[in-house]
Amino acid sequence: MMETILEIRQLKKTYPDGTEALKNINLSIKRGEFIVIIGPSGAGKSTFLRSINRLSEPTSGEIIFHGEDIVKANRAKLRKMRRNIGMIFQGFNLVKRLPTVRNVLHGKLGYMSTWKGALGLFNQEEVEEALSILERVGLEDQAFKRADELSGGQQQRVAIARAINQSPSIILADEPIASLDPNSSRVVMDYLQKACQEEGFTTIVNLHQVDFAKEYADRIVGIKNGEIYFDGPVKELSDDVIQSIYAKGKEAMPV
Amino acid sequence: MKQEALNISNQGEKGLSATKPSKYSEYKRRRKIMLKSQGFITAIILLLAIWSIWGTGFNLLSLFFGTYEILVFIFTDMFPPDLTVIGQLIGPALDTLYMSYVGMVISVVVSLVLGVLAADNLTPHWTIARVSRAVTAFLRSVPAVVWAIILVSGIGLGPLTGTIAIGLSGIGILGKAYAEVLESIDGAQLEGVRATGANWFQVIGQAVWPQFKAGFVSWSLYKLDMNIREAAILGLVGAGGLGYYLQGSINLFQYKEAATAILMIFALILMVEYMTAKIRERII
Amino acid sequence: MIKNKETYRQQKKVQNSIFTFLAFAFFIFSMLQLNIVPERIVRSIERLGYIFGNMFPPVTNEPVSLFTAAIESIQVAILGTILGVIISLFLAVLAAKNLTISPYLGYAIKGFAGFVRAVPALIWALLFIVAVGLGPTPGILALAINSIGMLVKVYGEALEEIDMGIVEALESAGASKVQVILQGVFPSVMKAFTAWSLFRLDVNIRYSAILGVVGAGGIGWELMKAAQMSRYDEALMVTIVIFGMVMSAEVLSEYMKKRANAASAQALN
Repeated sequence: MMETILEIRQLKKTYPDGTEALKNINLSIKRGEFIVIIGPSGAGKSTFLRSINRLSEPTSGEIIFHGEDIVKANRAKLRKMRRNIGMIFQGFNLVKRLPTVRNVLHGKLGYMSTWKGALGLFNQEEVEEALSILERVGLEDQAFKRADELSGGQQQRVAIARAINQSPSIILADEPIASLDPNSSRVVMDYLQKACQEEGFTTIVNLHQVDFAKEYADRIVGIKNGEIYFDGPVKELSDDVIQSIYAKGKEAMPV
Repeated sequence: MKQEALNISNQGEKGLSATKPSKYSEYKRRRKIMLKSQGFITAIILLLAIWSIWGTGFNLLSLFFGTYEILVFIFTDMFPPDLTVIGQLIGPALDTLYMSYVGMVISVVVSLVLGVLAADNLTPHWTIARVSRAVTAFLRSVPAVVWAIILVSGIGLGPLTGTIAIGLSGIGILGKAYAEVLESIDGAQLEGVRATGANWFQVIGQAVWPQFKAGFVSWSLYKLDMNIREAAILGLVGAGGLGYYLQGSINLFQYKEAATAILMIFALILMVEYMTAKIRERII
Repeated sequence: MIKNKETYRQQKKVQNSIFTFLAFAFFIFSMLQLNIVPERIVRSIERLGYIFGNMFPPVTNEPVSLFTAAIESIQVAILGTILGVIISLFLAVLAAKNLTISPYLGYAIKGFAGFVRAVPALIWALLFIVAVGLGPTPGILALAINSIGMLVKVYGEALEEIDMGIVEALESAGASKVQVILQGVFPSVMKAFTAWSLFRLDVNIRYSAILGVVGAGGIGWELMKAAQMSRYDEALMVTIVIFGMVMSAEVLSEYMKKRANAASAQALN
């Protein structure tokens, strides 16, 4: 519980148009933590999460993951490190025309030889593992349906299954429930939490719903204007702090 | 609902040995269906390819050989293009333009009549619609070049032949397109105007034309785009324009002149496409 | 406000009248330039009547050679299409701005495809005949290169429209470029690619039927012979065979599509 798994130092991201999305982020994350990042939209939450696995290239800084700097990794090294980082997106990002189980199998691509993976030659063991993970997210009956036939909540659970199948040590979830209704949101968050507890994944989730954040997080990080504004356990997150995180931002207070 | 889902997953957690084999065999069964289907399509394509290679005597080497030869041909025989013949080419280029335009007007006029007759909601009688559709289908199935070949022997060499050939093949395409646009117009508006006691011409003018205009303009301009390409090659069979000049210079081994003619065709096509795009913007 | 609208409509009306007038004037001008005078129109309509009258009933004196030529045309179209599709697949991935390894390479390929597309297939055939000689081979190469011009454009557009989220998801799972393209991108664009490829087969069959007129083999040559002897009934027969070629390709591809759809319905229920 005490071992530091991810250490972010002086992370900066400036877009070509000069926007400073991340100004100076320092964050140390311990194994098994369930961290929720909150903040107004445009504060840099998404950029921050996407910088961790370099879907968005940081301008400067260090991201030490398992003792190695992701920012300095070359392409091959980056691929190897990325398979240790599961990612869940707001838009699910499944290959809609492929069966659900194949989408879960995609989590294994990083471990396969290029051509085996490219041609989709998964062996019995891999398929069985994918099927059992689908079962764990309650979708065993949907395993062979086309991904786009599933509801939004179910698709997000497939995406969780895909991330689990990577056997990562950390999971990044970028607004995983922003396009779901409240009921499916809860189901998705429950599965995410459960998977992380069972597997001991460290989890970083971006949320804009503060109530969900309080309910699921061990630790909350508030980001405002590209900087960390609050960092602490849920009980320290007072209403005043929430107010000031969201203050000045044009958008209404989230409920 | 959430409770239920979690229960299922709790059961399924890790100790899955009981359900594993049947699930996997299901996966294999479905995968087999897909592989069989993909295999069937691949096999048909392969068979067609082998049959065609055998029939035409084509070999893959000629792909590389051909690429090499055409590059050599273009860069040594055609390059640099002989720009001194541009003066001679302006006449044929304009002819090509005129042919496309007049051909378009001919096909627009005839297609308007055939389109109205063929559209289910406007035709005077369904047998007339059938006949009109058959005529357009026949004209459409024959490429303009084929019409040109037939007409050259019947009417003679020259741009008139090319113009008629373009017009005929255009009727096939525009007749069908107009009929489809007309069929998709809103019937309620038609009824409304009809209910005021308007005659046929008034119905067309007041109810049909406003809805038909956009489709009419864009299809007609599209046809003009197509025509310029067709007109450029009709000359290869003697129907006037740039193609005729191109054929002549190749027959005389004047490849540098031919290159200029091709560039001219290229420029003409781009110019007309640019203009039709502008007109489309203005009108629609 | 209402007055503005009124004047706007008035302006639009004037503008439209000017357009119509110009279009009409250019039509008359073109007719005069082409030396199309009423007398010639009447004469050519007479000739058209004569030609159409002599087309029926369609006949053929050499059914065997007509059949062989038709087969050769189909084969030329098939090979032209297959080569075009395969090469375009590679080029389109390199040309699509969201997948390319270098934007400059992307522009170069798009520029090449644009040029190749703007030069009509028949002219390519003419050039290939000069370069590699008579026969079906120049026809195949001409159709292949002309197909590339079109397919790279439409494939590329389909690729540029894909949901980049899929690419990000697979990349963040550690997948390599080839894996992302084959496992994520191609399944997403398969339907569009198939539709365009079959459309191109249809176009290529029509083209292959006329390649013969410049000496690239196939049924076009039969048509030339019939036309040069003014045998319009034979010409019509050749035309009917061309029509049959296009139809049979359509029937075959419809059948294959149906079968594939039935299979995936079975596998994905």
